[in-house]
Amino acid sequence: MTEHHLSEDAELYPLGILDDDAARNVELHIALCSDCAQRVAQAQAVAASLAAALPRAMPSPALERRLRESVRPRQAAKLRASLLPFALAAAFALAFLGLGWQALVLRERLQSDDVALVTMVHSHFNHVSMAPQSANPVAAKILYARDGSWIYIIADKPGGALHAIARTASATTDLGALTSSGETATLLAHPRERIVTITLQRAGTNVASAKLTY
Amino acid sequence: MDELVEAFAERRPSGLEQAYALWSPLFLSVARHIISDRANAEDCVHDALLRVWRAPNRFSGSREMLKGYLVACVRNEALTTLRRESRHDARALKAARLDPVPAVDAPSVDPVETQRLQGALARLPEDQRIALMLAYYGNKTQVEIAKEVDAPLGTIKSRISMAMRKLHAELASPGGNRW
Repeated sequence: MTEHHLSEDAELYPLGILDDDAARNVELHIALCSDCAQRVAQAQAVAASLAAALPRAMPSPALERRLRESVRPRQAAKLRASLLPFALAAAFALAFLGLGWQALVLRERLQSDDVALVTMVHSHFNHVSMAPQSANPVAAKILYARDGSWIYIIADKPGGALHAIARTASATTDLGALTSSGETATLLAHPRERIVTITLQRAGTNVASAKLTY
Repeated sequence: MDELVEAFAERRPSGLEQAYALWSPLFLSVARHIISDRANAEDCVHDALLRVWRAPNRFSGSREMLKGYLVACVRNEALTTLRRESRHDARALKAARLDPVPAVDAPSVDPVETQRLQGALARLPEDQRIALMLAYYGNKTQVEIAKEVDAPLGTIKSRISMAMRKLHAELASPGGNRW
């Protein structure tokens, strides 16, 4: 408790209309005076009521994500890291193995994991089949993060070296060659900006393309 | 202590997440009333909430007090941003509306609370109501209000203070359900 209490500044403070010195004086005072702290709290509640009449604005999902990552940075990074291999496994299963053995393994994993994690996985990536082009096209799928941070291309029976060409809003970039492994070829990339379209080229000829939506 | 308030006071992530889930439209509405640009307004909400949550002083009080405290922090953050930008670019100043009632196609943050509030505002003496509305909905400083209504600064402070006390008495009365 202090001997003197705040003037009208206790009610003016929550409105944000005091100058810097007066506002600082209120903050210092209420740290020591419970009576004035109570007055300020009551005025803050009135100010919140005044805000109820403002036109409603709905925050974007990105704001919630930013806040969550700010207060849970390690968990968020860990979750992102854990999602990638999980997503890659899902891509292989979805693209090539249908409901075969790997899909069953994946399903078992999904069932054994937390439902929230499964929801997170499905909310974090999209997948799209590439449209075949040319007389000798290639069957390929793309798995990509909804936030555009990574992209994974899988081509079935590539029939030769494949290059992935990415077009963004500002540039066209060669993401590099797909790496062959058995009857598939794959490429994982982390683009700097969101990719709008992907084209696969074999010996300079377009053999498949896809448009990505976010 | 309320579970949410306790989680917030102990700086558990769930405290901030719950507060955000409950009141995020209110927070953003407060910021956007002051800052037109949506991205900047969201930055204000993010920065204000994070600063409060990370502050070493522990909050204690009711859930409604926490709500009022957070709303005040978001408003202060937005006003600070507005005033900083307006020093560099007069065009950054948003044209303030004195009428808090939203257009027909833009519902208010809380229609029920708005109805109660409008009744309470209408019962205030006119000079007190004008001073308070210039301060809150007009985003004006006490000095600007004094110039606008041509009254001494001390008088303006008294009018706003009285208006706030009367609103508290009325909204917190037994007929009310807020606190």
